[in-house]
Amino acid sequence: MEEPSYCLLRRLAMSAHRLISNRTSQQALSNSDYTWEYEYYEYGPVSFEGLKAHKYSIVIGFWVGLAVFVIFMFFVLTLLTKTGAPHPDNTEPSEKRFHVSSFVADFGRPLESNKVFLRPVAEESRSLFHFYINEVEHLDKAKQSHKAPGLDSNIHFHEVARSSGRLEEELNCLTKFNIPNFVNTDQNSSLSEDDLLISEPPIILESKPVIQASRQILD
Amino acid sequence: MRPDSASQIMRLLGQTRIPSFENISNLSMNSDCTQVVVPEEVFFTIAIAGILENLLVLIAVIKNKNLHLPMYLFICSLSVSDMLVSLYKTLENTLIILCKMGYLTPRGDLETKIDDVMDSLFVLSLLGSVFSLLAIAADRYITIFFALQYHNIMTLNRALIILAVIWAFCAGSGIAMTIFSHETATVISFTILFPFMLIFILCLYIHMFLLARSHAKKIASLPTSAGPQRVNLKGAITLTIFFGVFLCCWGPFLLHILLMKFCPLNPYCACYMSIFHVNATLILCNGIIDPMIYAFRSPELRSTLKKMFCCTRSDWNYAFNSRGKYYKTLLVN
Repeated sequence: MEEPSYCLLRRLAMSAHRLISNRTSQQALSNSDYTWEYEYYEYGPVSFEGLKAHKYSIVIGFWVGLAVFVIFMFFVLTLLTKTGAPHPDNTEPSEKRFHVSSFVADFGRPLESNKVFLRPVAEESRSLFHFYINEVEHLDKAKQSHKAPGLDSNIHFHEVARSSGRLEEELNCLTKFNIPNFVNTDQNSSLSEDDLLISEPPIILESKPVIQASRQILD
Repeated sequence: MRPDSASQIMRLLGQTRIPSFENISNLSMNSDCTQVVVPEEVFFTIAIAGILENLLVLIAVIKNKNLHLPMYLFICSLSVSDMLVSLYKTLENTLIILCKMGYLTPRGDLETKIDDVMDSLFVLSLLGSVFSLLAIAADRYITIFFALQYHNIMTLNRALIILAVIWAFCAGSGIAMTIFSHETATVISFTILFPFMLIFILCLYIHMFLLARSHAKKIASLPTSAGPQRVNLKGAITLTIFFGVFLCCWGPFLLHILLMKFCPLNPYCACYMSIFHVNATLILCNGIIDPMIYAFRSPELRSTLKKMFCCTRSDWNYAFNSRGKYYKTLLVN
């Protein structure tokens, strides 16, 4: 025949079941009576003879395939969490914090120069930076014990600044949008806002909108 | 094609029993795949539940001034499209019942027009749903990767413009697809659009996920962190839920469309198409599940709803500063 009997979506979909439903039953007419059954008479019925596989094989195959794909995606995502260089955080967390803070106090300048390393590639920059931090930790162990009790809000704010600067730079590397001036000025402005809201030790790092948003969204 | 078919439809509308059906039943084989029928009550219940739930989301966003943000605008857009899908199904079932009772004239011009309008509505809501998901993913992406510039990039006006463009495009596509419904290109473009959008949204979310993972590793060095493994597992579960729901709800219907177009007479395809009502129910379920995984995950929206219904004194000490909201959210979590 000239015109196809199937046209759109609902009509498409609805008319399909007309073809194979048990037409003598009243119930088959319960939905969408106004379908293209009339035209299907011209197509003729579907012959179910000589089926090699089970008649619902497409249904079963589709759902099994979908389930396998979703589970596969889940495992890929979980594996992504496990791969990657393990962070060398065998030290006590508090000790680490002091390391970082003293690193800031004593080596404020070198952090600026470190920005040069952080630009090119995310992974390389991260590993370089971690290497730098580790080196500083080793050098600084002696001074740590003296500095630890002396933490005051100045160093703590510096740490926030440096850490947020680190993170912002990391972001820049990841997105390859290196706008140093913009980042610096914004960092200063955001720092002023953070000052108003900070009431705790550097945990406040978590409150940066970036990490915050990412965790909030994915949690 | 359409006028002829329309008249044929209208002829069938007024009839509850068509004698020639018995002939057809004799022709069809005994082992054919009988139509899997979902009761009307189930359809109505699910559709009305979807409408009410999405309406709740809309009311909550409208009532609470703190939720007048681009992020919630896109969630509202998703709720609107889910509501339209449920509305469409409800209207269709109502029309069928009215036809069966004989209140609608079989050959009316009005019925044809209603039919066309409903088809356009269906396509509009399908496309609106997918584009809203895309807008939500893009908004979250910008929030994470352009955090400092976010408030300059995604202003409320721009979000409204984006939504207007999306819905205008969906409306135009709906009308175009209804008019050119018999073309193969329509079906192919419709079915290809979904996988492309899905892959694109998946890429956005995976990139965000990778960033969250690297941040979690950093936070692991701080004393009170929960540990990167837990955070990332939750992220993996969240992403899997997003895409699992999308695939499970839309996938069967899209496959149905494809099979309908390309192998209507194949017995395997015919058996798949016999479960059409189950596939349609899945689309309605999508309308119920989407608010749960997008809208109700926001603590502020939940507290708005609690305030509306339980009339309890929620803690409204949110700083109106937008950064304050982020901080508060962290502390609450």
